Amino acid sequence: MATTRDGAPPGWVRLCRSDEIGEAQSRGFDPGDEGQDRLFVVRWQGQLHAWRNACPHVQGAPMAWRRDAYLNAAGTRIVCHAHGAEFMPDSGLCVQGPCRGERLSPIALVVDADGELFVKS
Amino acid sequence: MKIVGLESLVFGVDDIGGAARFLVDYGLTPVELSDRGGRFEAMDGTAVVIARQDDPALPPGPVPGCRLRKTVMGVADEATLGAIAAELRRDREVRRLPDGSIESIDDAGFVLGFQLTARRPFVLAGEISNAPGGVVFRPVNSLGVPPPGSVIRPRSLSHVVYFVPDVVKAEAFYVNRLGFRCTDRFTGTGPFLQPGGSLDHHTHFLIGAPPHMHGVEHFTFHFGGPSEMITNGYRFVEKGYQAFWGPGRHILGSNWFWYFNSPFGCHIEMDADMDQHDASWRPREATASADNSQTFLLKMRKKWYPGPGIPENGDYA
Ligand code: FES
Ligand SMILES: [Fe+2]
Repeated sequence: MATTRDGAPPGWVRLCRSDEIGEAQSRGFDPGDEGQDRLFVVRWQGQLHAWRNACPHVQGAPMAWRRDAYLNAAGTRIVCHAHGAEFMPDSGLCVQGPCRGERLSPIALVVDADGELFVKS
Repeated sequence: MKIVGLESLVFGVDDIGGAARFLVDYGLTPVELSDRGGRFEAMDGTAVVIARQDDPALPPGPVPGCRLRKTVMGVADEATLGAIAAELRRDREVRRLPDGSIESIDDAGFVLGFQLTARRPFVLAGEISNAPGGVVFRPVNSLGVPPPGSVIRPRSLSHVVYFVPDVVKAEAFYVNRLGFRCTDRFTGTGPFLQPGGSLDHHTHFLIGAPPHMHGVEHFTFHFGGPSEMITNGYRFVEKGYQAFWGPGRHILGSNWFWYFNSPFGCHIEMDADMDQHDASWRPREATASADNSQTFLLKMRKKWYPGPGIPENGDYA
């Protein structure tokens, strides 16, 4: 995608450099400056995935327990730290807990040739 | 039966260091901390205990995924301990542990412990409001707002809230077998329960929920008053923790609340100024809704007067 380092193409917003998020790590973002992370990005088996910070169990519920802490200790599951629902990092499918079978809402992301990470705004 | 309230809650976690830091930042005091777990006490010695989730010494949770492994209640005397053991032995196993406590299970699958209470009595004035015409005032020249840097500590383990698949059965166990009283009730949701040796509006609240939600909604400690509790909550948020609901004040129980996410697979609350009731109290019944559970909800406004970097008319966003 065509972009400059500090400018994002229309409809996309720059989050960070993609290599700032290591394997089995997560990071929250608040691109609209709403005072709470609107989305978070995880790297799982090399791939980045972006999800809305909104648990399907209680509409809109924020999921981390501490800033950027969206995963279990092993980095194998996304966890909602409201009531412990566990989700697959790549599919967003809830595999244990109060919303089993439901899914997180995905957000389209792209990494440009310079390694910058953008999501659909 | 003189059950005086919660003594400790035992959780199995996957990250001892992270959970320990969380509890210290909440205000609890670590004792016996190691890489295998620890005990985190309020001012009266009531506590949260954490251990590794695969620690073989931990009893099982009610369902896989529930990190609460044991709820320990304190009792006033040996007679109560004996009475509980005799009552529960009628239809279930009761184990006597080496520390003199007993262990059994409730009808919703939560493992229970009962011990002679080790609560340490203390005297420390709670928050006092100055009101014209009032009888009790804060000492002159003392401050209502906790100053920056002041130490704020939880005073006592307050209550735990369970999601249970059969709320009628779960309530019957606490009322008929352990002598709890229902103080108030959310219709179709569940009862607030008070044990025989406490005046607190509730030490337990039961929520009827589908089986896949079976577990814990939250637990909380009492703080010295709303100003102290809310100050502590803002400090917690500044440390990077995630608020969920609050600060506000409940209607049933009148307790001030602020809920946060936690590494325990449930919410943790900070609470203050809960109503007390005795046997003359008539339980109320209300339908559960946000409107019926919060009398008000506060929102912090960062900028509220014109000034440097602030629009001329203030900022009312
Ligand atoms: S809000 Fe996420 S598990 Fe309940
Ligand atoms: Fe509560």
